[in-house]
Amino acid sequence: MNRNYIYLTFLILILAAGVFFLPERNNEKHLNPEQLMYEIARPTRFITTDQIAQMIIEKDPTLELIDVRSEDQYAEFTLQRAVNIPLDSLVAESYQDYLGIEDMNAVFFSNDDIKADQAWVIARRMGYNSIYVMKGGLNCWINTIINPTKPVETASSEEFEQYNLRRGASMYFTGAEISADEGSKSSLKVTRKKKKAVAEGGC
Amino acid sequence: MWLLIFSENYGYKKIRIMGPLIPQGLIIGQWDFVIALLIGMAFGFILEASGFSSSRNIAGVFYGYNFVVLRVFFMALVVAMIGLLYFDYFGWINMDLVYVLPTFLPSMILGGVIMGFGFIIGGFCPGTSFTAAAIGKLDGFVFIGGVFIGIFLFGEGFPLFEEFYTAGALGNITIGEVIGMSNQMVTLGVTIVALVAFWGTWLIEKRVRKNIKLFKF
Repeated sequence: MNRNYIYLTFLILILAAGVFFLPERNNEKHLNPEQLMYEIARPTRFITTDQIAQMIIEKDPTLELIDVRSEDQYAEFTLQRAVNIPLDSLVAESYQDYLGIEDMNAVFFSNDDIKADQAWVIARRMGYNSIYVMKGGLNCWINTIINPTKPVETASSEEFEQYNLRRGASMYFTGAEISADEGSKSSLKVTRKKKKAVAEGGC
Repeated sequence: MWLLIFSENYGYKKIRIMGPLIPQGLIIGQWDFVIALLIGMAFGFILEASGFSSSRNIAGVFYGYNFVVLRVFFMALVVAMIGLLYFDYFGWINMDLVYVLPTFLPSMILGGVIMGFGFIIGGFCPGTSFTAAAIGKLDGFVFIGGVFIGIFLFGEGFPLFEEFYTAGALGNITIGEVIGMSNQMVTLGVTIVALVAFWGTWLIEKRVRKNIKLFKF
């Protein structure tokens, strides 16, 4: 019998027995401070009100709007399909089912974006992914989507495009009848999010 | 493992990374196919090098004259089990994020039986049929044709099997969780079973075959 096989047998046995002596490792589920600081410095968590309006109009099934204001303010006015999680109860057990849903993009919003940003930091620290902040909050929503201001005559064509898009969105959300300018090239494009395939093994 | 990243506000920064890399977004999804190609090539090479492209070796497990399949797969299992526990200890992988395939008991048992029959009758498993085809074996090509016909029929007839396919869902469980043992205990148990199997099958082979030659490494 080849000696190497005997050595190999003992090596495997020793390694297998060795796993009992490894200390239990506590994998940190929370984000470490360095990583959190790096992510806070990045602007990628912000979504503009234009993008949100477009997603609502297109009935994007991956969008989950979360209103972090108080219940009274939520009852008064909020965005379509938004759920209410007051900032002070974000860590409460009963609200955890709303966060961290697979393939859903949770977007926090408040009156401005300060409270929503705080909610983002807390949720990120709790380990949730795919969370965003609506830039400018509801104040920005009113200014840009509900009452868009007409750009000055000398503004670039992109700004006019955006203005027309916002007027269309305003019509959608308020039911106001505004006749669209002719020659507008803006149109809402429907983009379907690709389904993520789960990697599976096999022989 | 440490990685150097750059952010505009804070300059260069060292952050700690650990596997698995894809679920954490450290490797973006578009690399999936490249990684799959590389792993597939390595897997195919090992299958061929272990002699798995010969259907005699594979069917030999059933007839009791060649247990190389059992030994290679058991060895891979043991190395992966022990290796993952040590990787976890070194902080190279976060075991909480490792994807565990969900278990559907009845359909997996039936699938295993069908696979077993396929092994004996066809002389290949799906993976080894490709390595056999790669070295130009005709039976390998025929087997691959059968694989695709089977996939097509199953796909078209899926509504008929769907209820059975998803029955008995146990979720993403591991053996340790089911029988209430620690991962370390399961690993040691499987290792001992594997070692006994290595030596036991060697003795059986020695008795059955006259011209047996031990692989030298």
